[in-house]
Amino acid sequence: MSPSLLQLRSVGKSFGSTRAVRALDLDLGAGEVVGLIGENGAGKSTLIKILSGVHTPDSGTISLNGNAVQFSSPHEAMDAGIATIHQELAYCGHLTVAENLLLGEHWPRHAWGGVDWARLHEEAARQLARCQLNISTQKAFSDLTAAQKQEVAIARSLNRNAKLLILDEPTASLTEPEVVRLFAHLERLRSEGVAILYVSHRLDEILKLTNRIVVLRDGELVASYRTAEATVSRMVKDMVGRPLDQVYPRSRSPQKGEPMLELDGVSLAGLFENISLKLHAGEILGLAGLVGAGRSELARAIYGLYPCHAGAMRLKGRPWSPRGADEALAAGLVYLPEERKRHSLVLEHSVRDAISIGFTDRLTRWGMIRVNDERRAVAESMQRYDIRAGSADQPIGTLSGGNQQKAILARWLERKPDVIILDEPTRGVDVGAKAEIHQLIDRLAGSGRAVLLISSDLPEVLGMSDRILVLHHGAVAAEFTGDAMTQENVILAASGLHLARP
Amino acid sequence: MTHGRLSPSLRQRLLFLLAGNFLLLVGIAITMKQGGSFAEVLTRCGPNVAPVVLAGLGMTGIICTGAIDLSIASIIVVSGTVFGILVQRQWPPLLCFVACIGTALLLSAANGLLIRKLRLPAIIITLAGLALYRGVALVLADVSIPGFGGSIDIQRDEYHAPGKQFATLILLGTLGSALIWEWFAVTPRRWLALGSSEESCRLAGLNPHAIRQSAFVVGGLFLGIAAVIYVTQIQFIEPARLALGFELQVIGAVILGGTNIFGGEGSYAGTALGALFLYFTGQWMTYAGVSPYFQEAITGALIIGVIGLDCALHRKRKRMEELA
Repeated sequence: MSPSLLQLRSVGKSFGSTRAVRALDLDLGAGEVVGLIGENGAGKSTLIKILSGVHTPDSGTISLNGNAVQFSSPHEAMDAGIATIHQELAYCGHLTVAENLLLGEHWPRHAWGGVDWARLHEEAARQLARCQLNISTQKAFSDLTAAQKQEVAIARSLNRNAKLLILDEPTASLTEPEVVRLFAHLERLRSEGVAILYVSHRLDEILKLTNRIVVLRDGELVASYRTAEATVSRMVKDMVGRPLDQVYPRSRSPQKGEPMLELDGVSLAGLFENISLKLHAGEILGLAGLVGAGRSELARAIYGLYPCHAGAMRLKGRPWSPRGADEALAAGLVYLPEERKRHSLVLEHSVRDAISIGFTDRLTRWGMIRVNDERRAVAESMQRYDIRAGSADQPIGTLSGGNQQKAILARWLERKPDVIILDEPTRGVDVGAKAEIHQLIDRLAGSGRAVLLISSDLPEVLGMSDRILVLHHGAVAAEFTGDAMTQENVILAASGLHLARP
Repeated sequence: MTHGRLSPSLRQRLLFLLAGNFLLLVGIAITMKQGGSFAEVLTRCGPNVAPVVLAGLGMTGIICTGAIDLSIASIIVVSGTVFGILVQRQWPPLLCFVACIGTALLLSAANGLLIRKLRLPAIIITLAGLALYRGVALVLADVSIPGFGGSIDIQRDEYHAPGKQFATLILLGTLGSALIWEWFAVTPRRWLALGSSEESCRLAGLNPHAIRQSAFVVGGLFLGIAAVIYVTQIQFIEPARLALGFELQVIGAVILGGTNIFGGEGSYAGTALGALFLYFTGQWMTYAGVSPYFQEAITGALIIGVIGLDCALHRKRKRMEELA
C-alpha cells in the first residue's frame, strides 16, 4: 500500500443511545480506491459525514498526511483536501455552470473593479477542460443532466486540490453509459494520485472499480481485504454477518385468504416501474430493498399520496385509484410512515391527542369531540397495545421510541383496517418493544388483516414475512418464498445481482 | 444575453412586460379624451413611479436572497418624520435629504442585523418592524415637535426639489447605476446564489448571514433614495397615514418583474418594468373611465393574479424538475 494519506484511529460517534460508529480504524493511501460497503444503517453515512466535516467524532483521532485534523465544518474539510460528492448535490440551480464552479473563489475583475465575465467563463472552461469535460459554462446549472452535475461537482473539488474524493452512491441516478464515463474519469484521477473512497450498494461496481474493500456492520469495521481476493458472496456474508438467532412469532395459520390488495403493472415515473403484486388476507408480505429502491414511494402511491402514471390497483376486489389519504382510510387501508417523528407525530401533543387523532371522526358529534368517549377509547387502546406512559396527558415526544410506535399503531388499528402498510415499523425501537410490535403484527395477520411490511432489517423481514418481494431500482427484482427466503438471496436481489425472477 | 446571466423564464418575463407596457401606452393614447396630452403622461410617469421603482430595487436584492422586508413603508415614515423635524428646525435642505436617506439606510441595516443576530426569519423581524417603526416615528414627532397635531407641514419649495424637480433624473441615474452594478458586481450574484441554495454557499466557504445582511444594507440605500423622493413630493407628512400599503405595491412590482418570491432568481430591470406596468394599468383605467371605486380592487386582483400565476409556474417547474 502507498504511504498513508488518511488515518482514522478508534473513531466513534453516538447519537443519543445509538452508537452509529464505534472504534473505527481506517487507512487510505494516495492513489488508492477503497470501496465502502455495508447494509442500511451500518454506519456508512455517519462515517462519510465525519470525514466531510458535517459531524465531529465523539472519540478517536483523524490524521491527514500525518497531521492530526479536526473539522468543524464541511468547508474546513474541503480546505484540508477532502471533497465529498453527496448523493444529493448542493448547487445553485439558477446560476450558470461557471458561477457554480467558482462560487466562493476570487472572480477575475476588470481594472475598474467590475467582474470580467469573459475571463470568468474562460477560467471555468479551463477547469472543465482539465477534467476533460465538454459542458457549456454559460448554461444554467439546473439545466444539466444528473451526470453532468456530478461531473462539474467533481471538477470543482479537484480544482480545489482535493486529495481524497468521497463519493456516496454516485451512480444512483446515472444511466449505464454515464457510469462508464464516470469510471473512466475516476480511473484517471486515481492515476493522478487522488485517493477515492467509493460508497455504494452496487457490489458489481465495487468489484470493478476498487483496489480494496472495507465492510461496515453495526457501526464497526468488520472486514478489510484487497478487491482481488473478494467475491460477491464473501462481501454479502460480511455485510450481513449476524445469524438469524431471534425467534419471530408465528401464531397465525399458513392459510391465505382472499386477495385484499392487487397491483398490476403500476408505475410512477422515476420512482418505480411496472410493479405487480398480490397481498392476501391473513398474510404478511415483506417488501425488501435498499434505501431509495422505491419501497416507501410505492407504499405512498397505494395510500393515495402519489398518483400513479400507469397500471391498475384493486383493493378488496374493487378498482382502487385513491386521490388522497382520506379515501384510503375510509376504504380500510392504513399506512405507517417510516419517519415517525417527521410524518406521524406532533411531539408536543399529549398521548391522548396523538392516539385519538386517528379516529376523531368516530368520536365527534356536531363537530365537537365527545371528551368522555375519547378518554375511554384512548385508555382502552393504551391498555390493549400496552403503551407505557405516565398518563395520557404526557407529551408523546417524552415516550420511548417503542411506545411512540405502539401509539401510532394504536391510532390506526382502532379504525379496524383491513390492509395495513408498515414502513420500517421497528426502526429506532428497543429490543423489548420490537418483540411486542412483532407479536402485534403477527396477531393482525392472524385476525385476517393483510400486512405489507417494508423493512430494511433483514432478519426482521425474513422472520416475519410469509413471502418476500425485493425491489431494486424501482422494479421487482425477485420474489422469495419458503426456503429461498435467505439473507444472501435477498441482499443479492436488492443489489441488483439476482436478475432472474423465479 | 451574453453570459447566460438571465434565465429563459426571466428573459421571457422581461419581454412580456415590455410588450405589456407598450400595449398599455397604446391603450392610454387611444382612450385619451380630447385635450389630453400624451407627452404629459410620459413626463408625469417619472416622479410617480420613482418611489416604487427605487424601493423595488432594494426589495429585489432582498427577495433574491430568499428573505423579504415588510417594514419598508414604516421605514419611509421614520425617514419622512426625521426629515420633517429637521425641516421644522430649518436645517439646510441638503442635510435634511441626507438625514432622510441615512435614516432609511440605518433602519434597513438594523433589520438585516437583527435577522442575522437573532437567527429569525426575515418575515418575522420585518413584520414586527412594520408596526414598530411607524410607532417610533409617531413618538419621535410627538417628542420633537411642540404641539404636534398629527402632521408636519413642509412649505418651502427648496425642500421639495428631489420629489418635484429632479425625480425623473434621480430615478434614471439610480436605475442606470444599479443596472451596471448588477451586471458587473459580485454581490448581486451572491444574493442569487444564497437564494438558490444556502447549503452550496456554506460549502463554498461563503457566509450566508453576511450575504443576506448585505442585501438589506444595499436595499436600505435604495429605500433611502425612494424615501427622499416620496416625502418631498407631498405637502404634509402624516406619520400615521403616510405610505400605507406601500410595501405591498413594491413587492407586487418586484414579483411582477419576475423575481422568484422564494429567492434565487430576479433582476432590477424586471422590477422597473413591473412597477411601470402597475402604474400604466392605473393610468389606463383612469383614462378609460373605470370608476375609482373599482380601480383599487382591480389593481389588487391584478397583483394576486400575477403573483399567483408566478408561484404556480415556479411550482410546476419545480415539480417537473423533481420528476425529471
